Amino acid sequence: MASAAAAALRPSMSMGAAALGRLSSSTGTPLLRPLLPLTQTASLSTSVALLKRHTYPGARSNKDANKKRGQSALRRSGTRWRLSTTDEPLPQPVPRDQLPQIETDPDHGLWDFFPSRETVANTPEEDAKHGRSWSVEELRGKSWDDLHRLWWVCVKERNRIATGNWERKKSGLGFGDAEATERDHEVRATMRAIKHTLTERFYLWEDAVKVAETDPEVDLSGTGPPFTPKTYLEDVEEGAEGAEGAEGKAEEGQAAEAVQETTEQKAEEPAAADPATIPATSKAPTEAPRL
Amino acid sequence: MVAPLAAAAAEAVAQQVPRRFGTKQIFLPNHIIAFIRPNPRQPPNLATFTVPLQFNKLDLRDYLYHAYNVEVTAVRSFINQPAPRQKFGNRGKWYRPRSKKMMIAELVKPFVWPEPPAEKDRDAFDHGIFKKMQDERDKQVQRQSKRGQIPRRTWGSQPEDRLALKEQAAAFLKDGGWANGLKTEEDDGEWAEVDQEEQI
Repeated sequence: MASAAAAALRPSMSMGAAALGRLSSSTGTPLLRPLLPLTQTASLSTSVALLKRHTYPGARSNKDANKKRGQSALRRSGTRWRLSTTDEPLPQPVPRDQLPQIETDPDHGLWDFFPSRETVANTPEEDAKHGRSWSVEELRGKSWDDLHRLWWVCVKERNRIATGNWERKKSGLGFGDAEATERDHEVRATMRAIKHTLTERFYLWEDAVKVAETDPEVDLSGTGPPFTPKTYLEDVEEGAEGAEGAEGKAEEGQAAEAVQETTEQKAEEPAAADPATIPATSKAPTEAPRL
Repeated sequence: MVAPLAAAAAEAVAQQVPRRFGTKQIFLPNHIIAFIRPNPRQPPNLATFTVPLQFNKLDLRDYLYHAYNVEVTAVRSFINQPAPRQKFGNRGKWYRPRSKKMMIAELVKPFVWPEPPAEKDRDAFDHGIFKKMQDERDKQVQRQSKRGQIPRRTWGSQPEDRLALKEQAAAFLKDGGWANGLKTEEDDGEWAEVDQEEQI
């Protein structure tokens, strides 16, 4: 290996044992010199290893650990390997203030962490400009998609408030903690209302399943039609529409309506539980919906 | 506007970003993530966030992509552990405040923060009073920490008339020329030693 490397360095070595040093030019045959930096002016050390290698078991290690043996600064023997140098001029470093200014994409998603493009933290006055939170009564009529979207609006608003809080504190802007906390409370109240609504809806669905198990009109096996209304109920409904005064009939009609409602709920639930992780609108909003 | 070359480069990087996300769906996450102003010499492709302690790097990448449509090539994470402190400043039970997890995301599209408002533009935050209160609180902390020292009157701010008097006195001492319009005995004036003529 070492001899091969040496041969690669000095092609004259392969010509003959006597040809040491730079004899390649005097031999007459034009040799293709390898593209090497012309640092090597003298031959490498050709001294043989004087130490005998001890091979018997238990012998001391006399391995030659000097990787630079044979190289001499005095004899200008150069290195045994090619150095990784290049002629390409190195680029000059540019001062930081002379670098081209980096423009932020106006549609960058991280803008959503700020109340506006110029301000990172809302002023207390701006923070105090908020309405009340959503109540459970208002949210009961909303679909799962609406509630889910509203939840994400709340999450982003809380992130915005947290970013503003951090900025106000670290940059020492001034007051505004109380207003931000108040705003955060309102957002949290909305989130609590959303969870309240969903929990209510879930309990309702559980009750509906229980009722449906005992209902002869509802088939929960999943094989046949889930709901087969009895014919007399339809008759009663027609009769009830005709004469509203009949109390017994009206009660039966209400019962039928109740059953229908529960089944409607049941029909709605699978659609509502359909997993839509993220609302499609939150994908690339230029201006996120503000609370 | 972003230079077309830069935009093309960003797009090329975006295409290389692996978009493999987890399969666990979280419908109503309750995490708060704050976007932190970068350090002065931080490059604009690094964005710092504070995240909940249970967050991992994949969570943040997923969160930023799905909630904010922000592409991220890599995430670095570290936890800042605060020093133990006492409940009421210098007394009370010792405890360690909760650690804070921070993550630095390497963005595909760089983001440069807006400059913070100058001190004179912070009137909306009542910056003047805020600064005064803060300074006063700092002074009080200093005083509390050096209880053996008795505060001197000259340490505090002096009233203006006192300062004016001091200035005037210094000027008299330097230039002289003080007179109150009365004559002494040497000037053949009315002033005389009282006890000289006194009969004992």
